[in-house]
Amino acid sequence: MRQPQFLRSNTFHWAFLVAAVFAVFIIVLFGFIYWKIDDYLTARSDRVITAERNGIADLSAERRLEAIEERLRQDPRGVQLAAIFGADGHRITGNIESLPPDLQVDASAQSADIVRIDRDHREHQTIRAIARRMRNGDVLVIGRNVDEAKEIALVVGQALALGLLPGFCLCLLAGVWLSVRAQRRVEEVNQRVRRIIAGDLSERLPARTVDEPFSRLAVIVNGMLDEMEAMIHALAGVGNDIAHDLRTPLTRARLTLERGRTNAATVEQLQAVADKAIAGIDQSLTIITALLRLAEIENSRRSAAFGSVALDEMLREVCDIYEPIAENKNIALHVRATRRLTVRGDRDLLIEAVANLVDNAIKFTPEGGKVDIELVRGNGETIVRVTDTGSGISEQEREAVLRRFYRSDKIRSTPGVGLGLNLVAAIVKLHGFRLAIRSGSGCRMEIICPDPQEA
Amino acid sequence: MAKVLLIEDDSETAEEITAELADRGFEVEWAANGIDGLEKARSSRPDAMIVDRLLPGMDGLTVIEALRNEQVRTPVLVLSALGAVDDRVRGLRMGGDDYLTKPFAIVELVARIEALLRRPLESRETTLRVGPLELDLIERTAKRGDRAIDLLPREFRLLEYMMQRSDQLLTRAMLLEEVWNYKFVPATNLVDVHMGRLRHKVDGPDEAPMIHNVRGAGFILRAVP
Repeated sequence: MRQPQFLRSNTFHWAFLVAAVFAVFIIVLFGFIYWKIDDYLTARSDRVITAERNGIADLSAERRLEAIEERLRQDPRGVQLAAIFGADGHRITGNIESLPPDLQVDASAQSADIVRIDRDHREHQTIRAIARRMRNGDVLVIGRNVDEAKEIALVVGQALALGLLPGFCLCLLAGVWLSVRAQRRVEEVNQRVRRIIAGDLSERLPARTVDEPFSRLAVIVNGMLDEMEAMIHALAGVGNDIAHDLRTPLTRARLTLERGRTNAATVEQLQAVADKAIAGIDQSLTIITALLRLAEIENSRRSAAFGSVALDEMLREVCDIYEPIAENKNIALHVRATRRLTVRGDRDLLIEAVANLVDNAIKFTPEGGKVDIELVRGNGETIVRVTDTGSGISEQEREAVLRRFYRSDKIRSTPGVGLGLNLVAAIVKLHGFRLAIRSGSGCRMEIICPDPQEA
Repeated sequence: MAKVLLIEDDSETAEEITAELADRGFEVEWAANGIDGLEKARSSRPDAMIVDRLLPGMDGLTVIEALRNEQVRTPVLVLSALGAVDDRVRGLRMGGDDYLTKPFAIVELVARIEALLRRPLESRETTLRVGPLELDLIERTAKRGDRAIDLLPREFRLLEYMMQRSDQLLTRAMLLEEVWNYKFVPATNLVDVHMGRLRHKVDGPDEAPMIHNVRGAGFILRAVP
């Protein structure tokens, strides 16, 4: 037979355990109360019988017998016991059949097993008793039945049963309810997650407005799902862009080859065709290389190889490399880095990032323009700034330029892969720096390197 | 005739490389896996090796390490898949070896193999001479015949590198890596612009050109025009 599912649930197990611990605790508590009361009652009857014994023992022999009879008469509840035994052990008077053998004479009150005799019946009882030897050799025994304690035990037991059993059951029921409820929610989540796995990315986990852990968890997971959905859509978009950007040069190469195969008559013509085709394939490969490089940087954890990089020197080096290119385009390229500033990073990657910014700046600045590379300090930050006098990046395009393959419509005609800024962004992110695009006349790109926090 | 050992598991790639190298006068031996390759490297003592990084049986870098441990100093060109260029592969260049990422142009491969085979010897010469060209490494001056050439520091570095490897094809990627220490290929045709300026200075208007552009491949500095 299959167990009901809630029996296997963790919640139920916990509820059961708590209920059990609780029950044990209650039982111990009741036991303690019972023990305390019993103790108190025994002590009280001990005091009473000790006083009575002393009182009776002080009387003369005749008065003693009277006092005992008087005492037994005034006992409607039948809890009083008293007797006088002769020195040889026979009963002189009283309602105790014989002197209990284990009862110590002239000691303090103790428990004793006796047989009570009344007019018509005899009964075994366990009582508290005290005995004293008189001057004439008789033994006086005074006792008291402490059955009250048993009654109290009964009451306590009843109270326990009345209180504990329903309480325990309630605990178990709560456990069952909680576990069933949790299971239902898990099942609901499970179904929705299955739908998400099956490809329904818009599905979300159920989140109630009540502030409880499950809902809060659902809100967190939903936030993650939002992010992932956006990322997957973006990725799909990138996939389309990649396909498009790869297909264009490949299509050209294919057309060239196809036409060349039919039309080329001489070896020279065929070679020209092959050259064109190779150029097309090379462009596709360049895109793939750039993408893989991007992935490599984005996934790398190269911070272990970080060293101290002197930015001023690095900027001068980049400027040195790009100077002829700028000159060819009649662009004034200047570097302003008077202070020696260093950051922790990967020199090769940082050069690549700055070179990309400068490359872009020169590319998008019309002839006769200006490109400035600056190194400035500000407010706990070291900033590498590349400013140009090109067409700039409009507010709406700022986000977009960091997307893969994004190329402004204005510059569609300029050759390039459209991954340069992605690469810069990835490198900057790897270093824990920030990339800022600022407006002004032309474009101002900044790599902001915050000073490392002193640990 | 230089002997080259090619360790490459893809037979079609191997065939193309073998054919191209044979055309250029190399004697090529081919091994299709690491273990086989290691054995051939030990037995036939090639002058240079081309080793694919990912090989069945034994990783390409492991093959090289094994050889190095046996004090075999044969220069190696490692072929590495794109995106798998880690620090171990980058380290090869430090050790005098080289690497190339797939896919590559066949001219690039040949140029690099030739460069490995003709590594310039450590020399104490303070003056480099190629034909009429003379470079004083102490004074940092250059002249062609009697004509002094005024060079910027970056142009000097480029010419120095080319003169050490005269009559050798130098690809753009090689120049970027070696002269400018660039580990990536920039979008702009940097090398061409720099080379254009240098050529303008080295080859005067009425002189026979020494710096030659090899279409689709790179540049050569020739002693004899």
